Amino acid sequence: MRNARDTFYVTLRDRLAAVNPARTMVLRGVTRPGVLVEENELASAYQPVDAFCLRWTGVQVDAQGAMPLMTMTCEIRYATDGNAGNGGMDRGRLLAAMDAELVAAVGAAPQSAVKVNYAVSPAVAMGTMVFWGDVTPGSSTVNEERLERVATVEVFCYQEAGEL
Amino acid sequence: MLRIPAQAGAGEVAEQLGLAVPEFQDVELAPVVFRKAEARTAARKAAVWELLVSATAVDALVGSSGATGYSSGSVLFADAFGVLVDGVMLAVESATESELGGTAYVYRLVLRASVSAVV
Repeated sequence: MRNARDTFYVTLRDRLAAVNPARTMVLRGVTRPGVLVEENELASAYQPVDAFCLRWTGVQVDAQGAMPLMTMTCEIRYATDGNAGNGGMDRGRLLAAMDAELVAAVGAAPQSAVKVNYAVSPAVAMGTMVFWGDVTPGSSTVNEERLERVATVEVFCYQEAGEL
Repeated sequence: MLRIPAQAGAGEVAEQLGLAVPEFQDVELAPVVFRKAEARTAARKAAVWELLVSATAVDALVGSSGATGYSSGSVLFADAFGVLVDGVMLAVESATESELGGTAYVYRLVLRASVSAVV
């Protein structure tokens, strides 16, 4: 399950960077693509704006087959205040741009990737795939000057023997 | 003491995946005013404190001549792991700065105890 989450994040990160290379953020002094996994970062009250934050929530297991099929829900949270130079009046446009980038990255074919174990160095490709559905954007919410949205993606993988 | 992580490695996938832990350093914040901000409530079980930090102290830590390499006070506190007070690590919940004539003169940090410390 951990490997599937890592694989999905790395795939999504690379695809988002390809869709819009300008969407970057500075985290701990380093500029990187504007996407992170919340549980992999320091516990912080700050949600970066103009970036995508992944939060893993639900997990379901279907043990009927030869290998357990795991279904994981990934919430993707993003928000924008708009550009200060525009008085924030472009925040709707910027949120729409993030919507489009996310839909393009998640919906790009193939909606699957070979599962990779990143816990070993160098990373090792595993025997099964990770695959995912289309993105489901939630309603946008207004938090003072900030526009926020939570989208969800269902991610599936098979739990290989001996895999944690 | 403000506990801050070392800069992330550029393109370091292990850190992005939570496989590698950054090194931390403690830097002294002084002078400060430390006070309890509000009582515990049912909705907020953790006690909350307020730390008022002199901008002079922050200026010594940030910028090109600063001890931490961070570009500004807001970035420093946004990236901070927490504030160590009498051996207890308090998380930085928010940080705001007050300005006079376009120059910050005080930073107000809202600190809370970690969930594991709540009894």
